[in-house]
Parts: sequence; C-alpha cells; structure tokens
Amino acid sequence: MGFILNPLYNIVSGVIVFIHKLLTPVFGANSGVTWSLSIVGLVILIRIILIPLFVKQIKSQRALTALQPHMKEIQKKYKDDRQKQSEEMMKLYKEHKTNPLASCFPILAQAPIFFALFTVLNGIAAKTPEGVSAPIARGFLKGEYLDSAAQATFFGAKISQSFLGSTDTTVKIVTVLLIIFMSATTFTTQRQLMVKGMPKMDASNNMMLQQQKIMLYLFPVIFAISGVNFPVGVLIYWSTTNLWTWGQQYYVIKRNPTPGSPAYEELQRKRAHKEKLEGKNHDGIDQNEATEPEVQGQREQPKKKKKKKK
Amino acid sequence: MRKILTALVRAYQVATTNIAPRCKYYPSCSNYAITAIGRYGVKGLAMATWRIVRCNPWSQGGVDYVDAHLDCADVKNAIYDNEKEVVGAN
Repeated sequence: MGFILNPLYNIVSGVIVFIHKLLTPVFGANSGVTWSLSIVGLVILIRIILIPLFVKQIKSQRALTALQPHMKEIQKKYKDDRQKQSEEMMKLYKEHKTNPLASCFPILAQAPIFFALFTVLNGIAAKTPEGVSAPIARGFLKGEYLDSAAQATFFGAKISQSFLGSTDTTVKIVTVLLIIFMSATTFTTQRQLMVKGMPKMDASNNMMLQQQKIMLYLFPVIFAISGVNFPVGVLIYWSTTNLWTWGQQYYVIKRNPTPGSPAYEELQRKRAHKEKLEGKNHDGIDQNEATEPEVQGQREQPKKKKKKKK
Repeated sequence: MRKILTALVRAYQVATTNIAPRCKYYPSCSNYAITAIGRYGVKGLAMATWRIVRCNPWSQGGVDYVDAHLDCADVKNAIYDNEKEVVGAN
C-alpha cells in the first residue's frame, strides 16, 4: 500500500505546507488560523480542479433537452420493465454521445485524498503508549511544521484531536458543531436540488421525497458515527467541501438551471419580465448600454457607433 | 471476503442514495461490483475496479453487464416468459 499512499501523503502535506508558507506572513506561522486555512485551501484547490468536470456534466445535461421526446417514448414503451427502460435510456445517451450523469471515478478518486489527509493529521496527534505525544512525520509535514501543526487550534480545539481521542471539552464542542454543520449543509444541498433543481417527474418524485425524509434523519447519524473518530482537521476539510458543493449548486440552479425544473421556470419568468421592462423603456436601456464606451473618451457618439456595428 | 466486500458496497449505496444518481453505466458501478464480486471473487473485484476507472468524465457510458448473456433484460424476460408458459401449460 505504501507505494500508493506515500505520493498521496506527499501531495496532501505538500499542499498544506505550501499554503501554510503563503499565509504565514499574514497570520503567523503557529496560528491556528494559518493551519485551518491551509486545510480549507486544500479543499478549494481540489474543487477548482474538479470544476471543468462539473461544467462538462452540466453541458451534457443541457444537451438532454433535445432527447426529451425519445426519452418519453422509451418510458412509455417499457413502463412495466424498469431494467429494459434503463438499458434503452443508456443506449440512447450513447447513441447521441451525451451522458447527463457525472460518472463514478472523480468522487471515488477523492477518497484516497481524504484518507491521506486523515492519516497525515492522525500522525500529528500520535502518542506513545505512555501517553506522551510523539508526532509522526508524513510527507512534507515534518520538523518545525509538525511541531507547529501539533499545537494549532481551530476555535480552541487542536486540529489533530478527535472527539473520541480527547478529553478536552472544547474539542468535543467544536467537533459536535462541525458535525451539525456538515449535516446541515448536506441536507440543504439535497433539499435545494429536490425542490428547485430537478425536472418535475411524475411517479419517481414521491419516492425521492420519501428518500429525502429518511436521509434527513440518517445523515446526522452517519456523520455523528464517523465524525467522532475524525480529527478536527478532517472535519474542517469535510465541512468546507460540503459548503463548496452547496455553493456550486446554488450558483447553477440560480444562473443556469436544468430545463424543466422549477428554478428554470422561475428564471424564464424573470427574463420575460425583464424583457417586458426593456421593451417599455427601451431608450433608457440603450442609454445605459451606451455609457460603457464613454469611458474611452467619446461622450456623444456611442449610441450611433453601436448602430453601425449592427 | 465476498460478503464483507458486498456489505461495503451496500453501505456505499445506502450512504449515497441522497446524491442524485451519478453512474454513466447501466447497471451502476456499485451494482456491477456486487454482481461481479459475487460471481468471480477477487477477479470480480478487479473487474469492478476497471469499471470504475472506465466510468470517468470522458467515457460515454452505456449498457455494460458483468455477463450480458446472463443479465440483460431480454434474457431475463425470456426466462420469465418461459416460466409463465410452463405455469400456463400446467
């Protein structure tokens, strides 16, 4: 396993140490803020790398509108045979070289990074059997960095400590708060998608609502069970990535919603409304647009210029 | 071993039901893994891993069974119809 994991330790610890170096002049080398933001920075970097994949997926989802009639046909034809229905649907996507689904690899590829972060942070918290702290260096997190990271705190809780591994009340409070935050962001993300982001469906909608209700109660439990074992630093990573997911989805639902979803209809309404307004005060809008070239020095001409371009 | 792996995959499925379906293939990577591990053990695990690698943003997905001649809908329907006929004959 070592030959797979060591490069991952290097990447994770390398990124953290690098961001730590960048932030040291601002917050100080031993500040908990610096170390916490280093973990947040790692998340942001990973999620930025994943943005093109996200955009690609959104684009292929949009391309789906054209296939809508075919899809309806398939649903009708094989309405009693779900397996055949799914098969035909996949064949249709392949035929048209578009697939609205995200694919499994990127999300599973994140798991080793998560695991590596977990190990690196656990190494910081390592103790000898006698209870004396003996941090284990992994990757680039060694020497003075290791000592500094071992002392770093997030709202008073050491980032290397976990709920179960510590007797410190502050650690317990911070982990519980982070777990609540994680559950809340996951639930809101889910709810946002359910209520606004998805095309209206007939039969499956009910089932999904049901699932969502189960999840509302199941998620805090899952997070609580796993969260109490994780160091605060890992919980920071998890919370940040959840928050990012929420923000990304919020942006897409607001600005570029899936055709057929409630959010899409809302946007259409807004645009129609705006066009109406534009139609009414067309001159006003034109003047507004015309003010832009004014910066270049011409005060009276821009309106005419625009017409010429057309 | 097979039971442990299958339980892990099931746990993954339960944990991700809330996330909109994401697999580009039918059956999904996780279902594929369960079938493959159940049938082929370690070789099945390798098959499942390869399937996940194939399920990347540049792939087109599609229908991809562990054993098409055993699993696809037409075969299953044919078996089902046969059973019905037998029952009818009785």
